Amino acid sequence: MTQAAIVAQDLTALGFVSLGAAIAYRWYRDPVPAQGMLALALITLGAVAALGRIPNPPGVLSVVNVALFILSGFFVLLFRNEFVPLGRKALMGAYALLAIGIAVGIADVLAFSDAPQAVTALIGVLVITPWAVFVGEPIVRFWLESNKLPAVQRTRMRFLSSGFGLLIAIVFVAVVGGSALRSPAAIVLTQLVALAAVPVIYVSFAPPSLLRRIWRMGEENEVRAAMQDLLIFTPSRQDLAERAAYWAVRLMGATAGFVSDADGKILATSGVDSVSAARLLSSPSGQAVVMAPLHLTEGQGRLGIVSGPFTPVFGTDEVAQLRAYANSVSAGLERTRVTERMAALEDNKTQFLNLASHELRGPMTVIRGYVSMLEAGLLGTLNEQGRKAAGVMAAKVSEMNELLEEMIETARLEEGEVTVRAVEADLREIARSAAGVVAPMLQANHQLVMDLPDRRVRVKVDPDRTKTIIANLLSNAIKYSPDGGTITCQVRSRAGTARVSVTDEGLGITRDSMPKLFTRFGRIITPETEHLKGTGLGLFLGRQLARLQGGDITVASEAGKGSIFTLQLPAVGPVPFPVSNGGADGPHDPPVGASPRKLAGTD
Amino acid sequence: MIEARAASLLWFPDQAGITGAGLPAGAVFPVRAKARQTPEAHVLMIEDDSSIAEMYRLQFEHDGYRVTVATTGELAVSTLSGSEPDLVLLDLLLPDRSGFEVLVTLNERFPNHPPVVILSNYGEPSMIDRGRALGAIEYLVKSRVTPADISEQIPGWIEQGRRRGRKES
Repeated sequence: MTQAAIVAQDLTALGFVSLGAAIAYRWYRDPVPAQGMLALALITLGAVAALGRIPNPPGVLSVVNVALFILSGFFVLLFRNEFVPLGRKALMGAYALLAIGIAVGIADVLAFSDAPQAVTALIGVLVITPWAVFVGEPIVRFWLESNKLPAVQRTRMRFLSSGFGLLIAIVFVAVVGGSALRSPAAIVLTQLVALAAVPVIYVSFAPPSLLRRIWRMGEENEVRAAMQDLLIFTPSRQDLAERAAYWAVRLMGATAGFVSDADGKILATSGVDSVSAARLLSSPSGQAVVMAPLHLTEGQGRLGIVSGPFTPVFGTDEVAQLRAYANSVSAGLERTRVTERMAALEDNKTQFLNLASHELRGPMTVIRGYVSMLEAGLLGTLNEQGRKAAGVMAAKVSEMNELLEEMIETARLEEGEVTVRAVEADLREIARSAAGVVAPMLQANHQLVMDLPDRRVRVKVDPDRTKTIIANLLSNAIKYSPDGGTITCQVRSRAGTARVSVTDEGLGITRDSMPKLFTRFGRIITPETEHLKGTGLGLFLGRQLARLQGGDITVASEAGKGSIFTLQLPAVGPVPFPVSNGGADGPHDPPVGASPRKLAGTD
Repeated sequence: MIEARAASLLWFPDQAGITGAGLPAGAVFPVRAKARQTPEAHVLMIEDDSSIAEMYRLQFEHDGYRVTVATTGELAVSTLSGSEPDLVLLDLLLPDRSGFEVLVTLNERFPNHPPVVILSNYGEPSMIDRGRALGAIEYLVKSRVTPADISEQIPGWIEQGRRRGRKES
């Protein structure tokens, strides 16, 4: 058993010597100034452990050993002093305590080696108390501070605290226990506990990446959600920069953070005002600032964090993390910049549309008024050519006015200011009046066939807007049938849905052009259509207005053969049997008379 | 069946308040016939844009109405103190105050003022609602109607104003 005790003591000594050596090596490779004191503390502790294994040491060596032991504790205090500077008085007190501790230690070795056990124990307590104070105060502080830190640092601080806590406990137990603990079993036990402190302290200094990953796991989900929030859902660039700064501070356990734009302007700060942030950005040397580049299209911005008392304790891992984080933030900033620019453009477009169209209404009123008066002969009698010209002018001014109203309605729609006033109406009536609207557009080679059922088709819609939609479908059918042909307007109601289908035999639409069809200004320009006038707003408006009323517009088309546009609207009340005897044998149900109604532009 | 006038009013006429409260298409001609019977109805036009005012004056005088033009809200109020027109046509954008303010003044100072029709370049639903709430019997967007369209409706508006006046008294 005695042998076991000796082996345990050797092992412990070896453990501490290795710890000291490992840390000395690490510190040599990566001399982070703040970690120097901790490295010194552990190296001296290793030296103490090594010297303690020399059998029957001469007095001088014992003196050195005691002094080193107390110094190791003092280095822990200095380590803490790097982060949270001690007050002047506290530092003076610490030096005094150091002197007392060393003096008592030397006295113990030189004068009291043969004293009675109670005295030795008392002296021992007097020696280890300064050490325990030097070590104890920092570890309690580290533990408390660790609560504010991100997972990895928090865990590292706690391991460090636990390791040193273990050492304090063992040292006290050994000294106070005295001879009671001299039995080999007790020695083996205390040595093993002391040995356990070695890996605990080691991982706090240099945790392997696996451990880091495990420690971080709890935080990972929160961080992931925050990143997603940050990168995908943050609406404005400003918001994104602010959140990025906030999360950088949290992720790194810093006290403050800031984001700067490519032009060096501070975009957002967290925990620091923008003036100080600008100063830190221009001369970061004064304080411990870590900065990661933000790669933006206009240049390089920066994501900076300002170290808190404990931030630089553990560095490289977090710096790498900050860089990765900065890349994501760059992407986010770029995205919001594009989105914001697009939104501003859309806004401008709407405003322009609104203003231009309202401003155009004034002159339009006068031109239109005088042209109509000219046409009516109110301004004097015109000759044949003059009357013709007045007629053409009236038609063109009318066309212009339509476009103007489309533009205003579009702008209004985009501002969300369109209100639909739905009343019960007969869809046949609405279709008829829409046909009336487009009648002047019909050329000699066009035939407009109204295929309406005998019964009322009851719908609850805004009649004027519905008329607008149908008139637009009809006018498109006419416009895109430059070579003439039959245009059929069919009204049907079935299974709670009322439908108005406008069929033409015109140019049709290619498959590639379909997606553009219902977009704003999405006019399809082909060699056949480029000479036709239009804003491209009609179908966009039509579909929007139909949807506002619970309906929709659908299209089926074949290039070169023609198109069928169908307006669907919710029907009202019980729907009787199919109103027509099937569409197979062509258009039926003329509204008046026996034959389908035909309209021609000229006769 | 298909009446030609519709073509000139086609887009979004409800915003002008024409179709909802307006005249049924067939009634246009009878109304116009009646206009001839009303001797020298007096129309007060409150309009600061002289090109528009002159154009309307030409049409209305041609149709047999007496027209007075007031170019500011102030002038309109003083005109109303001196004479009793049969109808007021009110523009909304005036140099000294808005047409709505003029209407409010009229309601306060002349409780039995003649019927007011608003003629404006703006057709926003909120403005139409406001005009109607203040007692205008009609709200038209100028670019959507021709002078003849307005002239044709004058007798109807005057009649409407009279009926309303009778109801109130």
